[in-house]
Amino acid sequence: MRIFRIAALAAAALGVLSGSALAQQKLTMWSRSSSEAFMPGLIKAFNETHKTQIELQIVPSSEMVQKYATAAAGGSAPDFVSLDLVYAPAFAKSGTLEDLTDLAKSLPYFEHLSKAHIGTGTYDGRIYALPMSADASVLLWNKKLFKQAGLDPDKGPTNWAEIEADAAKVNALGGDIRGFYFAGACGGCNAFTFMPLIWASGGDILVDGGKRAAIDTPQMHDAINFYRTLVAKGYVPESAKTDSGKNFFGGFATDKVGLSPIGAFAIGNLVKNYPQVEFGVTFIPGKDGGRASFAGGDNFVVTAGRDNLAAAKEFLEFVYSIEGQTLLAKGGSLPTRSDIAAEAIKGLDERYQIATEAMKMGRTPSSPVYNDVFNSSTGPWKQMLNEVFFGTDVDGSVAKAQASMQSILDAAAD
Amino acid sequence: MTDTPQLPDRPPRRLRTARQRRKQLVGLLFVAPALCLVLLFFVIPLGMAFWMSLHNWPLLGKPRFIWFGNYSRLFGDAQFWSSLRFTVYYTLIVTVAIFSVAFPLALFVEKARPLTKLYRTAFFLPVVVGFGSASLLWAWLLDVDSGLFSPAAYWLGLTAQKINLLADFDTTFWSIIIMVVWKTAGFNMIILLTGLQGISTEVQEAARMDGASPWQRFRRITLPLMRRTIALALILSVAGSMLAFDQFYIIADGGPQNSTITAVYWIFSQSFMSFHLGYGAALSMVLLAILVVISVVQLRLLRSPEGM
Repeated sequence: MRIFRIAALAAAALGVLSGSALAQQKLTMWSRSSSEAFMPGLIKAFNETHKTQIELQIVPSSEMVQKYATAAAGGSAPDFVSLDLVYAPAFAKSGTLEDLTDLAKSLPYFEHLSKAHIGTGTYDGRIYALPMSADASVLLWNKKLFKQAGLDPDKGPTNWAEIEADAAKVNALGGDIRGFYFAGACGGCNAFTFMPLIWASGGDILVDGGKRAAIDTPQMHDAINFYRTLVAKGYVPESAKTDSGKNFFGGFATDKVGLSPIGAFAIGNLVKNYPQVEFGVTFIPGKDGGRASFAGGDNFVVTAGRDNLAAAKEFLEFVYSIEGQTLLAKGGSLPTRSDIAAEAIKGLDERYQIATEAMKMGRTPSSPVYNDVFNSSTGPWKQMLNEVFFGTDVDGSVAKAQASMQSILDAAAD
Repeated sequence: MTDTPQLPDRPPRRLRTARQRRKQLVGLLFVAPALCLVLLFFVIPLGMAFWMSLHNWPLLGKPRFIWFGNYSRLFGDAQFWSSLRFTVYYTLIVTVAIFSVAFPLALFVEKARPLTKLYRTAFFLPVVVGFGSASLLWAWLLDVDSGLFSPAAYWLGLTAQKINLLADFDTTFWSIIIMVVWKTAGFNMIILLTGLQGISTEVQEAARMDGASPWQRFRRITLPLMRRTIALALILSVAGSMLAFDQFYIIADGGPQNSTITAVYWIFSQSFMSFHLGYGAALSMVLLAILVVISVVQLRLLRSPEGM
C-alpha cells in the first residue's frame, strides 16, 4: 500500500513537472532582417502575455533560405520561421513544412487573411504557410516637385499617360531632378513594381496554377514600351540602369525624383528618416487605368514533425488579434487580416490606407522555382528586364525569357 | 690465375630492403601531418564534390543519383560556355596588363635609390586589402552619382553629363581591369623583384663590359634567367584570374545585361542562387580540369632547357 502511495505521488510529481514544462514551452523562431522593425516587438508582446515563450533570432535576409534549408536537412531548424512568402512553395514541395490546413480552417477569420499569402502557402491543395507580415507595392509621387512643376501636388497619376506627362513636367525642372525612378538591374524589385503594371492592364505573369509562363504578351510589350519611353526621354536617372536594388528606396529618398513605384515600407521610412520629402501615395495603375499591387512580405511556417501546432495556433491567434495587427502596422508591416486592417492602422499616417487597400488586391506569382525564375541575378526575369529596358532587341529578349522561364517551370514539374 | 677485383661488401638483399623500408616509413611519418591535412581539406572535399556532381542535388529535397546527367547538361548550357569564354578573355587581358605594370615596377624598385622602400610599400599596399573590400571601394568610386570618376569628370567639364561607367560593357570591363591591376600588380612586382635580385650582378657586369646595350641585357640575360620566377607569377596570375568572382559580383553584378558573368560567378549562381548544388559541383569539376590543363601547358611552355 505504501509503495502504491509513493508511486502515485511520483506520478503526480511527474505530471506536475511535465505540465509545467508544457506551460513553459520555449520555442525558437527565425525571421529575416528586413522584419527587424516589428518582429522583436511582436514577439516581446506575445511572450509577456503567454506561457508559451518564443525565442526570436534575426537572420540576414540574403541568408535565410540557405540557412533554413541546411538547418532543416541537419535536424537543427527552428520551430517556426517567418519566411519570404515567395519561397513557401519551394519549402512546401520539399516536405520541410508542417501541414497547417486544419489549423488554418479552424480560424474563424480565415477568409479575411491575405489571399496572396495563402496562395503561395498552398501546395497541392494543402496549406503549409499562413500570413505573417505584409508589404504591397504602390506608386509614390513627390509633392514638392509636383508643385514646382505646376502640377496638382495632391493628385497622383491614374494611368500610364498621366505618369509620363507628370514625369515630363517634373523632369523639365532641370538640374539633377528626374521624372521617374526604378531599379533597372534588380529582378526582385521589378517583380514588385513592374508586374502590377501588367496585371492592372489585364495581363498575367504565370498562369495555369504557376505551370506556364505568360511573358510574351501584348500587355508585357506595352509595359516595356512604357518604361523604354521614360528611359529614352531621359526621365530616368542614369544610375537606375545599374541599380541592382541597393538604391531601390534611396532613389526616391533623394528628393530629386518625381515618381517611383515602391513598397509600402517606404512610407514609414520616409516619414521617420527623410521628413523633408513631401510625398503622396497612390495605386500602381494599368495602361488605361485600373490598379494592381504585388503582395510581398512573409509567411509563417512550422518545421515539420515538431508536434507544436497548439503553440503555433496560440501564436497565430495573437498575430491576427487587433493587438498583434496593430503592433505589426506600427512597426512598418501592413496588416495581414483585412477585416480589422482599418482599425489596426488607425492613428497611423493616413497614406497607409492606400497601401492597405493595395494589399487587399495584392497578387504574388506562386511557384516552387520562383527564385530561379524571378529573383536570381542570372535568371531569365532579371536578364530580360535589363535587356528590354536599356538594350535594343526587345522582341528577341522577351521570346528568350519566355522560353527560358518555361523550361525552368517544366523542369520543376518533372 | 688472376685476381678478379672484388666489389665492396654489400649488405644482404633482405637487410637492404628492410633498411630502405624503415627509411621510407620515417619519411612517410614526417610528411604524415601534411598528408592528413591535404587529405582532410582537399582530397575528401574533392571526392565529395565529385560524388555530389553525380546527383541531382537540390538545396531543398532529397538528392537523386543521375550518373553523368549534370555533365551532359553542361554541354548544352550556353551561359556556362559564354561565361568560360569571357573568363578566358578576361584572363588574357588582365594577365598582360598586370605584367605590363608589375615588371616595370619591379625594375624601378630593384635598384637602391632614395625612397625605394617607400615606393615598394606604396605599390604593395593595395595587395593587403581583400578583394571584397577593394571591390566595394571601387563600386563606390565608379558610382555615377555619388562616386568619384564620373562626377569628377563632369565637374571638370570633361563630359557633358555624368556617365554611368557600369552601364556599358567596355567601360565596365576596363574599369575592373584597372581595379585588378591596381590591386594585384604589387604582388607580382614582389615576386618578380625576388627573381631580379637573384640574378648575379657579375653576369650583368660582364655583359656590360662586352658592350651589351640595356635592352640586350634585359632580353638576353634578365628575361632568360627569370624564366622560373615569371613562370610562377604567370601561373598564379592565370589561376587567380580564371577564378575571378568578387569584383564582377560586387562591382557589376554580372552586368550590364549578364555580359560580365565569369565561370565562378555562374557556378555561384547555380549553386547558391538557384540551389542546384549537384550541377554547381559538376561545373566546378569541369573548371578544375580546365585549370589543371592550363597550368600543365604553362609549366611545359615555360620549362627552362635544363629543367625546372
